[in-house]
Amino acid sequence: MRRKISTIALNVLLIVLGLVTVYPFVWMLSSSFKQNKEIMALEQHLLPQFFTVKNYITMNSRFNFMRFFANSLLVTIVVTLAVIYTSTICGFVLSKYKFKGRNLLFGFVLSTMMIPWCVTIIPKYSMIQNFGWLDSYKALIIPALFSGFGIFNMKQHIATLPDEILEAARIDGADEFFIFHRIIFPMAKNGISSIAIFQFLWTWEDYLWPYLVISAKEKQLLSVGLKMFSGQYSTDYGALFAATAISIIPVLLIYVVFQKQFIAGVASAAVKG
Amino acid sequence: MKKRLTAAVMAAAVAATALTGCGGGSASGGGSSSGGNGGAAPAAEAPTEPFGDTIKYDPSVAINDGKDITVELWEWGSDELFQQVIDGYQAIHPNVTIKLVNNPWEDYWTKLPLALDGANGPAIFNVHNSYHENLINYMAPLEIPLEDLEADFTGVEAHVIDGKVYYIDYGMMTGAVYYNKDMWEAAGLTDADIPKTWDEMREVAKKLTIKDGDRLIQAGLNFNDDFHQNYLLGLNYQLGENLFLEDGKTPNVTSDAMKQVMQMLVDMYEVDGVGSKDFGEKCADSFGQGQSAMVMQWGHYYNTLNTTWTDINFGVFEIPTFDGNPYAYNRYNGESSFGINKNASAEQQAVAQDFVKYFLANDDAQIAFNLAMSTFPAKKSLADSEAIMANPSLSILSEHIDHYIWPGPMPATVETSLKTAGQNIFFNGMDVGTALEEAQQSIIRDMSSSSFTSVEHLYKYAK
Repeated sequence: MRRKISTIALNVLLIVLGLVTVYPFVWMLSSSFKQNKEIMALEQHLLPQFFTVKNYITMNSRFNFMRFFANSLLVTIVVTLAVIYTSTICGFVLSKYKFKGRNLLFGFVLSTMMIPWCVTIIPKYSMIQNFGWLDSYKALIIPALFSGFGIFNMKQHIATLPDEILEAARIDGADEFFIFHRIIFPMAKNGISSIAIFQFLWTWEDYLWPYLVISAKEKQLLSVGLKMFSGQYSTDYGALFAATAISIIPVLLIYVVFQKQFIAGVASAAVKG
Repeated sequence: MKKRLTAAVMAAAVAATALTGCGGGSASGGGSSSGGNGGAAPAAEAPTEPFGDTIKYDPSVAINDGKDITVELWEWGSDELFQQVIDGYQAIHPNVTIKLVNNPWEDYWTKLPLALDGANGPAIFNVHNSYHENLINYMAPLEIPLEDLEADFTGVEAHVIDGKVYYIDYGMMTGAVYYNKDMWEAAGLTDADIPKTWDEMREVAKKLTIKDGDRLIQAGLNFNDDFHQNYLLGLNYQLGENLFLEDGKTPNVTSDAMKQVMQMLVDMYEVDGVGSKDFGEKCADSFGQGQSAMVMQWGHYYNTLNTTWTDINFGVFEIPTFDGNPYAYNRYNGESSFGINKNASAEQQAVAQDFVKYFLANDDAQIAFNLAMSTFPAKKSLADSEAIMANPSLSILSEHIDHYIWPGPMPATVETSLKTAGQNIFFNGMDVGTALEEAQQSIIRDMSSSSFTSVEHLYKYAK
């Protein structure tokens, strides 16, 4: 009986927390169908009093939404795939190979996670400028190829895989590339899913770096476009919410597809390797 | 798994297309902002005769010897506004392509100095004088003679640095009082009640205030959140006091004038009861929400009311004075002409110089920019322009526009320190003298490394 009550209490608490978490999102979604004066009105209603889809129709007047959306999708997918591969291969080497300086190398990887981005952004910009990569996707993709967090996460995850499997494969004549691509990669599915979600989200949402290095309108990303709704003196909230509502669809779908593996991956990364 | 992922990505693309696709074609209308410079711009008529006042633009002079050249123009505002000027210029010089790059206001000031520091920065860029210190070292001086600039525009002298001018004001923005006409009428007020003095203003505000017992229902006047900008940094001039002492560097916020202005604000809320620090957190929004009957706001508010708060039936009148004969009516701030990148190639700089000259000589462009920003034209010949006079927020300024002062590009600490002073008075019960003294010390401390020097002494009627 006591267990039942505590289960009910826990569920109620989780429902309340869930509602609190989801309410701003629902409010934003609902507000994307309101006029600006209703969004900023003194008396607030969750549902639009005057329903309009004008925000969705006119949001293209600020920028070419579909173009920005496609650009973001391209950059995000390329970066996510690259990070998945590089993180897994680095994690494999750091967890399953014993060599001199391994821990030092791992410490170096970890240290990259500890430097705030605001410290590195100016030197990074100068480097990109000197390489002549400004206004090119090279500036967005190449510096993002390796992720300290991804390597750390995959090292921890791959360390939980039994060495015996790898030894058995070696005895059967498998070379290291075969072992990595045909054994480690499929077995690290959960870890890869969590990296994929995090990296996809970070790259999709990243604003300042794409804004700094990309200037051409036809190459710009969606996160930068969303900022265009905020002017010097006022913000077009309706159009901003409409564009934001659409921009989160890919992130939502990625999470829905990978959520089981994501949770398993995060849990396994927490285990000491 | 693979199928699910493919389906998910496709669903996202389809949903996005369905929701946005229908807006693509018609959105930009007559503008060409979304079309870039690939020839999509509407054909603008190219003048053949020189035009302008003292600054004359001669369309027959070839640019870059007629050879093709591309420059970038960076801005943060409305693409259509800038594109119209670009289209007009490109119609005269088809060999020149000006690529417009739109930026979000906030982060423009991070990206622009980084870009100007290298060789590939924009040749032309939009300037705001509040970022003067960050930009001035990257700017090339205008090649237009100083006398010509001074002949056509007001306030040029304040922009002269070692005999050179890097940018000027094309428009002047300042404060005015916006009132809700329906509330005005409901209170039995007529046009004859438009206040000329602060005493009259307080009486009108009392009539516009509605209370239910002690509870405020409608504020007669609301100055919450931006009293420092609209009152403290401006009304001191009405009482004959500058914001800075003679050296142009020492703040003067502990003056008797400043104390009198601050005390008047306190009395309006605490003695007259025409508003409250707890009623309508932001006065501009509160007016739009139909909660407050009067607010003092700068010119940009006219556009906000017309785009966001479309239900408000509003009027606007000039700022009241203490005695009808002020030293100056208020402070103004300029909207700046374009900057020219001194690190751009010589050819690009030549195009940029020519484009700025075209912009300053072109009355249509000047009117369009001033109306878009609700600024009073700095170009003298446009002071009584029909289009400008048709905008009530500008027409009310026309009579006394030469009685407004620009103190120069003040560091942000002047505003923020006075805001803190007001908050200390209203929310922490600090007395006016102590709060302003704290603000004075804070400004002195923050400005110790600033190169700012006030240009208040350049005011036409300076004592």
